Amino acid sequence: MNLPAKNATSMGPSILAPSLGATAGDWFTLLKPRVLTLVVFTGAIGLIIAPAHLNPFLALTAILCITVAAGAAGAINMWYDRDIDAIMRRTAARPIPAGRISPEGGLAFGVVLAILSVLVMLIATNWVAALTLAISIAFYVFIYTVWLKRLTPQNIVIGGAAGAFPPVIGWAAATGSITLLPILLFAIIFFWTPPHFWALSLYATGDYERAGVPMLPVVKGARHTRVCIMVYTLLLLPVTLAPYMLGLAGTFYGASALLLGGLFIYYSWRVLADAQDSRGNSLTQNKPARLAFRYSILYLFLLFGACALDRLI
Amino acid sequence: MPPDPMPRTEIMESNWTPAERAEFSRRRRGRNYLLLAALGAFALLIYAIALVKLHEYGQMW
Repeated sequence: MNLPAKNATSMGPSILAPSLGATAGDWFTLLKPRVLTLVVFTGAIGLIIAPAHLNPFLALTAILCITVAAGAAGAINMWYDRDIDAIMRRTAARPIPAGRISPEGGLAFGVVLAILSVLVMLIATNWVAALTLAISIAFYVFIYTVWLKRLTPQNIVIGGAAGAFPPVIGWAAATGSITLLPILLFAIIFFWTPPHFWALSLYATGDYERAGVPMLPVVKGARHTRVCIMVYTLLLLPVTLAPYMLGLAGTFYGASALLLGGLFIYYSWRVLADAQDSRGNSLTQNKPARLAFRYSILYLFLLFGACALDRLI
Repeated sequence: MPPDPMPRTEIMESNWTPAERAEFSRRRRGRNYLLLAALGAFALLIYAIALVKLHEYGQMW
C-alpha cells in the first residue's frame, strides 16, 4: 500500500488549537451532507422506476438507509484521510483534522452508522438491497479510500463506482432483484464520475499536489486531463442512450439524454479548448472547468429526473 | 510505537475561562440531546417498520 501523504508533517495551526469539543453540527459534517443530495436523489429514482410496489414508509426507510450508509462511508473516509485533509485548504477545517472530533470517535461513528444502515435495510426491505448496500460501503472505504485514492491517477475511474450504487440499491429494495436497467443506471454514474471530478481537480490541483494525492492533473498534467474529460463525456453519451435503445425507457428519456449529453459534450469541449499556457494550465482561472463541474451536477439531476418522469408519463 | 502523525488536541479544563467552560457545557448538552433524539428516533423507526411489515405482509421476514 502506498501512502505518501501519511508522512506529511505540515499541519495547519488549527489542529494545535485548544478545542472545547464538537458541536452536534460537527458530527453532522462528518457525513459529508453536500454529497448526500445526489445519493438520495439517485437512490430515490431507482425506487421510483422499479416495476414493483413498496410500502411508502418502507421506501422512505430504504432511502434513509442509503443516505446514512453513504454518510457513514464518508465519515470513515474522513477518519482515514485526516492527514491529507489537514494539508488541503478545502478540507483543513473538517472536524477531525481541526481537532474538534477525535479520530477514534469519527471512526466509531462511521462504523456504527454503517452497520445500523445495513441491518435496518435488511429488516425493512430484503437481503439483496442490504447486501448491495454493504458492498457499496466496503467499496468506498476499502477500494477507493484505502487502496486507490493514494495509489493511482485512475483512482476516480474505478473508485467512482462506489457512488454509482444508490439507484441499484433503490431498485433492489423495491424488487428484491437487480436487472439490466439498474445496471445501466450504475454505468451512467460510473462514466459520469471521472469528467465530474476531473473538472473539479483541474482547479484544485494545488491542494491535491500538496497532499500527495495522485489526481490526474497532478500526475499527467492539465492538458492530458482535459482530453480525458472529453473522452469520458463522449463515452457517456451512448451509455445514457442505451436504456432508450434497448427499449427500457421511452422517447422522452431518449430525447432528454441526447440533449443533456450534447450540452455536456459542449461544456467538455470548452474545457478542452480553454486558453492555456505551454504546460496546459488555464489562462482563464479554469472558468470552463468550473462551468463544466457545475453543469455535470445539474446534468445528472436532470437525466435521472427525466428517467423517472418517462416512467411516470 | 511510531508517533501519531495527527497531534491530539489537549482539552485542559483547568485553563478554561468561565466563558469557555460555559461554551463547553453548551456543546456537550447539544450533543447529548442529539444522541437522545437519535436513539429515540431509531427505536421508533424499528417499531414502525415492524408494524408496517406485519400489517402489509403478515410477517417480519
